[in-house]
Amino acid sequence: MKKIVLLAILAMSSLFAQVEQKIEVPYISYEIKMGKGFDAVQANCLMCHSFGYIINQGPQSREFWNKKVQKMITHFKAPIMKEDANTVVDYLFQHYGNGKLK
Amino acid sequence: MQRRDFLKTSIAASAAIVGSNLSAEPAGETHQPIDGRKMSKMAFPEKRPMITYSDRPPLLESPRSTFARGITENDEFFVRWHLPDIPTKTDLESYNIKISGLVEKEVNITLKELKNDFEQVEVTAVLQCGGNSRSAFTPIAGGIQWGSGAMGCAKWKGVRLSDLLEKAGLKKGAHWVGFNGKDNAAYYETPNFVRELELDELDDHVIVAYEMNGEDLPYLNGFPLRLVIPGYYSDSWVKMLSNITVTDKYKSLFFMDIAYRVPDNATESETPDKHFHPTKPITSMNVKSVIGYPENDMKVYHNSHMVIRGVAFDDGHGIRKVMVSTDDGKTWNEALLKQEEGRYAFTEFRFTYKPTKYGKINIMAKAINRLGDEQPFAKDILWNHGGYKYNGIDVVTVEVV
Repeated sequence: MKKIVLLAILAMSSLFAQVEQKIEVPYISYEIKMGKGFDAVQANCLMCHSFGYIINQGPQSREFWNKKVQKMITHFKAPIMKEDANTVVDYLFQHYGNGKLK
Repeated sequence: MQRRDFLKTSIAASAAIVGSNLSAEPAGETHQPIDGRKMSKMAFPEKRPMITYSDRPPLLESPRSTFARGITENDEFFVRWHLPDIPTKTDLESYNIKISGLVEKEVNITLKELKNDFEQVEVTAVLQCGGNSRSAFTPIAGGIQWGSGAMGCAKWKGVRLSDLLEKAGLKKGAHWVGFNGKDNAAYYETPNFVRELELDELDDHVIVAYEMNGEDLPYLNGFPLRLVIPGYYSDSWVKMLSNITVTDKYKSLFFMDIAYRVPDNATESETPDKHFHPTKPITSMNVKSVIGYPENDMKVYHNSHMVIRGVAFDDGHGIRKVMVSTDDGKTWNEALLKQEEGRYAFTEFRFTYKPTKYGKINIMAKAINRLGDEQPFAKDILWNHGGYKYNGIDVVTVEVV
């Protein structure tokens, strides 16, 4: 009980020490590979996540990358045109693929 | 060349995986997770430089050395967000949690009320991502290729969720509770990162916390309020908590139906060619330990007095013992334990060791909980396509010189 009372006093005296300033989250320039289709990647992927998200998935199959792009469209509602989706998958598989289709 | 070595030499500015020398494998295999990734040169707000997978949403991993101690410092505590738009300014006067749905009266509880009108409680608990150590799986499981540092243990202070729900009053038929935070997607149509839990999963240990290790929650760990569910994986510990919705039925949601699930079979496993259905949420954590000291590739002196240190935990049943081996698992000796923070916290273990042979040695740690569950060797862990729940015996290789 003593502890609870003490906690209550402390709570009243310091209501969030953190200053009400805007927090700045740093931008990191990830080294992503250049190549055919990069423009489509930049236009369609970067809106929601950094390149770090792509390159840290590890090398993956064509099917994996295709499913990822489809997930972005179906579940996350990313407005990616069909042509762009194919271009992005081609790019991802070429640069971050494991050589296997499935 | 070991996979670990390969990756270490090929990693550039970030923790990027930039290539692979993995050969074709018919079935899933499991090995030690990637270790010793480079720390970023750049520090995120209130953090020191950490292993950085993404800046948006922020994904930060703690280095192995963190786990030589049972409490993880706030500035080294891992970070994982799902959506890119995280409010960068919080008005503490107006911030509140709204409790709605199947309740007697809808309530909005401000931070001030939360701190003054309810009993303030503390719990020390481990927060671990379900995909922690995902880099242990081959073929590479989809998702961020975490090493073993997507976890930490802190002392959380806040109020009981049950007290908040009581204030609103549950209506008859109330069965599910949904939690949502203030983070948003880039598109309005993208589903929110909402978690749903059954009322009977939410006991009195579940709190809404505003403090971590005696300080305000760090911004990146969910300031000003987050859910704390001791024993559960972190996907349910909603950050910047703002909405609690009580319902009678489960709402079908992407982050519940598709993400953070494992095969619903006895071994929670499947093959890369044929994913298993149905699946189930990952929920409770399995028994695991990580060595904090020494670290891979360190050199230690022959006949020196070493103290091997690390942490062990499970879902709250509690750790019974931690065994250490220095001869590739042929013989095991019991480590000393420190368990002062309760059953949901990291158990600290330490083991005094005098290296009497020159050359490379493998130091292994294996935790056993009060149910008798013990960690398997990495190679005996079966594969799942999400790369969840890895808990293999940790191995650190050092050279005795």
